Amino acid sequence: MQELLRARRVALLGGVYSNYLALEAALADARARGAEQIFCLGDLGGFGPHPDRVFPLLQDAGVVCVQGNYDLAVAQGAADCGCGYSDPRDNHFARISYEYTVRNTSAPYRRWLGALPPALKFALGDRQVLLCHGSPRQVNEFLWESTTPNGLLERFCRETESEVLCFTHTGIKWHRALPSGHQAVNVGALGRPENDGTPRVWYTLLSAGHEPSVEFVPVAYDHEALAREMARERLPGEFVETIRSGWWTCCLESMPVRERARGRH
Amino acid sequence: MPGLSTSVPRVRSLEPSAPRVGFRELRQVWFQITGTLCNLSCRHCFNASGPRDPWLARLDADTVRRYIAEAETLGVREFYFTGGEPFLHPEILPLLGDALAVAPTTVLTNGTLIDEPTADRLARIADDTPYSLEIRVSLDAATAVENDAVRGRGTFAKALAAVRRLAARDLYPIVTATEIAAPATGPSLYERLRTTLLEARVTRPRIKILPVLPIGRCHGRGNARRITSDDLEGFDPARLQCTEARAVAAGGVYACPILAGLPGARLATDRLADALGPTALYHPVCFTCYETGIACRNF
Repeated sequence: MQELLRARRVALLGGVYSNYLALEAALADARARGAEQIFCLGDLGGFGPHPDRVFPLLQDAGVVCVQGNYDLAVAQGAADCGCGYSDPRDNHFARISYEYTVRNTSAPYRRWLGALPPALKFALGDRQVLLCHGSPRQVNEFLWESTTPNGLLERFCRETESEVLCFTHTGIKWHRALPSGHQAVNVGALGRPENDGTPRVWYTLLSAGHEPSVEFVPVAYDHEALAREMARERLPGEFVETIRSGWWTCCLESMPVRERARGRH
Repeated sequence: MPGLSTSVPRVRSLEPSAPRVGFRELRQVWFQITGTLCNLSCRHCFNASGPRDPWLARLDADTVRRYIAEAETLGVREFYFTGGEPFLHPEILPLLGDALAVAPTTVLTNGTLIDEPTADRLARIADDTPYSLEIRVSLDAATAVENDAVRGRGTFAKALAAVRRLAARDLYPIVTATEIAAPATGPSLYERLRTTLLEARVTRPRIKILPVLPIGRCHGRGNARRITSDDLEGFDPARLQCTEARAVAAGGVYACPILAGLPGARLATDRLADALGPTALYHPVCFTCYETGIACRNF
């Protein structure tokens, strides 16, 4: 596992899913809020248009990235995105998204994706923070708030010798202080809204202190422009609707009942 | 199938010639809560459950609670309650609450016993926990005629009523179907069920399809092939649920929920921790898992 810098305040970006407009807005916002370092927890492509547009933004801003399942699949030219869906409807839309993304990701960026590390560790003040995409044990494990028990999170912290565990993959943020005093954070996603009926997306600020503090930051961006581009690229109307409405229209079948009940579909 | 009681002594390596796979880590723990006691006698039931003379005894509540506590120390990800019909167990509702205090929990039911008061109680249990309560309701076809031929007269209407009751309380059940009655042509079973549920005004229909298993009342179905060592060359054993799941049933801890209660699959008599070693892939149903990539878990 790669070990990095020591910092007091960092920004953590979840799945970008080719949403370069939200990425641009989040990078500016994180700098304005004093983030010393910005990390991205993987899944740079998928869902949105023009996947190549996110890479220069990440590289110019010095964002340190962890590899997500999508990144690995695109780099390897795998048969599917490896998101871990088991439902035919979910897989139908996942296939459309993946084929578009592979087709439109250029070779140098594929190589770059293939070289990303599966996890990173750094010191936030005097606390060890682990960054991964799905979970420390599995790149595409879904750690939803309602299906991730404390006992499992405590075990992950023990096994990785971390006090703050950060991950993404589900696309919906949450934070929990564990009985041991350690913390678990799903940093959310920049790529699409989190099924709450608003077009905003989210990233996470992590700050050192007596206890590390977690702040979820909403990001407003030109979602209408993104929706228009997605339509021009002939991406599914269901995807475009999500960007505009904030409600998920697909990837719903693997969602636990508690999270599913909060959405419209 | 032979019966087992909790007093049966420890048994290991009943199938020494079968290939074995190692265990990765404990993610799911299943409870065969009512053994094979069920109010239905479906013609494809993988463990031949029914209302008379169950060959596998039910678990008592204290035993289940002891395993829940042990599973928590092992970092379990989720619990499943199955049978038989779990709602025939007198303590099923408090046990679901006990499990949900530790980890997300799923109960697999035929739905016929979920009346309005039971649905209300399930909704209250779900509201009182930080973790998801998932309910899987079995249907095997998209029409009453086809379904009831497999599951018994009137079961389609009762199960569909349960699905509607649960969905109305935001418990959105997962309709679980096998391909026992799937038509050979036309829309898939998944699509047919989805259409049926939407027409019945079930919002957010959720569906899981499973193959028919060559065991229990379908023993001998298919080619009854067993896995060989050659089959495992280049195969990722992580695809097999016996590398991450264990089933607690009368008699101890077993390799998976399908083989729960069978001596050849028993790995320990009273502790999960003793059952986390390699598993013998000795049964034709192991080949079904190998071939189809199925998993009994929800997702």
